[in-house]
Amino acid sequence: MLLPKFEFHEPKTVDEACQMMAEYGASAMVLAGGTDLLVNMKKKLLSPQHLIAISRIEELKKVDSSPFGLKIGACLSVSDTASSDAIGKKWGALSAGAKALGSPQIRNLATIGGNLGTASSAADLPPSLMAYGARVVLKSSARERTLPLEEFFTGSKRTTLADDEMIYEIQIDEPAPYSGAGYESLGVRSCQDIKIVNVASFITLDGPGGIIKSARIVMGCVGPTHLRAHSAEKILVGEKPGEAIFARAGELAMQDATPRGAAFSRASAGYKKDMVGVLTVRTLGTAWKEATGERN
Amino acid sequence: MKKIITLDINHEHYEVAVEPNQTLLDTLRYQLGLTGTKKGCEVGDCGACTVIMDGVTVNSCLVLAMQAEGRQITTIEGLETKEGMHPLQTAFVEKGAIQCGFCTSGMILSARVLLDKNPEPTEEGIRRGIAGNLCRCTGYQKIVEAVQSAADGMKEGHQ
Repeated sequence: MLLPKFEFHEPKTVDEACQMMAEYGASAMVLAGGTDLLVNMKKKLLSPQHLIAISRIEELKKVDSSPFGLKIGACLSVSDTASSDAIGKKWGALSAGAKALGSPQIRNLATIGGNLGTASSAADLPPSLMAYGARVVLKSSARERTLPLEEFFTGSKRTTLADDEMIYEIQIDEPAPYSGAGYESLGVRSCQDIKIVNVASFITLDGPGGIIKSARIVMGCVGPTHLRAHSAEKILVGEKPGEAIFARAGELAMQDATPRGAAFSRASAGYKKDMVGVLTVRTLGTAWKEATGERN
Repeated sequence: MKKIITLDINHEHYEVAVEPNQTLLDTLRYQLGLTGTKKGCEVGDCGACTVIMDGVTVNSCLVLAMQAEGRQITTIEGLETKEGMHPLQTAFVEKGAIQCGFCTSGMILSARVLLDKNPEPTEEGIRRGIAGNLCRCTGYQKIVEAVQSAADGMKEGHQ
């Protein structure tokens, strides 16, 4: 399986990479881990004339934590995302997503930015990142813009990324006190597969034993892109957390999901909906535990 | 256009002229004759082409040769020393963990990195460690036993 021909560039800095993107525009693609891009090129689904490899730019592998939150470089590998103490300590649902992705070999190559750029609705990292309210920083030689991850995805395998832009950084705010999150995914196997359904939930309580102040639930594989379970979120706010209200949220999340199912999919639409309900309840349970200080 | 690069493989330096669209896997096999690294699915699913790059396992079918320049690469050929085969290699032979042999190189390299990180893995830990390597003969049980046996042997050897 041969790769189509292309010119290979390895810029040493982000600025240099952006200049190349500006010069080559739509004929160039950014190569990070290569676990999606090179596969698609081998299958002749993509054949960019230029590949701009950013894997040697150290600046893009940072994990900067501050009292305000985290700034993660787009080229941080998925295995480093999974094993980072800074991430695991306060953003455990992101670690859980990273651990669930691919195989050890794939996690060592794949990057957090690549997982977002591919924009698959079955991807493991977007649900938790969206649930935490993450933002992406996009860079080109002319400008830099920061937008909520939710607005970055515009459809299946589609993003708002312009031809000359690259994903530079992922920012996540420090979770409010009494917050917690959970991520669960369901696949045919525990490794090396494409998810059937995945869900991340994030809740903030107004104090120990208090009511739910805010909630975000993100569902994967049940729409063209990751979807928020808005009606499930709405019913949680103002309520005391507990099994009964979580079960109700699970039912509403099932209604919020719009799976396609059948021939193109890994499971029927009905099954996916049912599993959205189950995973919503489970992730809310994990989030509740974390919010009340009972960490796993 | 071809470019001359230097690859650091099993602590030896190789100068090779490579095309941009050439993978590390093809370079190892066809230019350097290191055919212990196997070519399976070519899309990162099977793990037959696993090599160790800068201390971690990667699918060499998904790494461009040019991206591998300056990295430390270990292939299955690099495991044997003057003293003989690596304890993992010996254990695979002794435990009958090799059937057709196609997955063996990748399995052993994944196991080697696993044992470097965790010299006393549980069975679950071993299964997770080799999760990116598929054995189409489905001889997983003996492979897991071989890794366990190598781990036990290496531990005793250190004491």
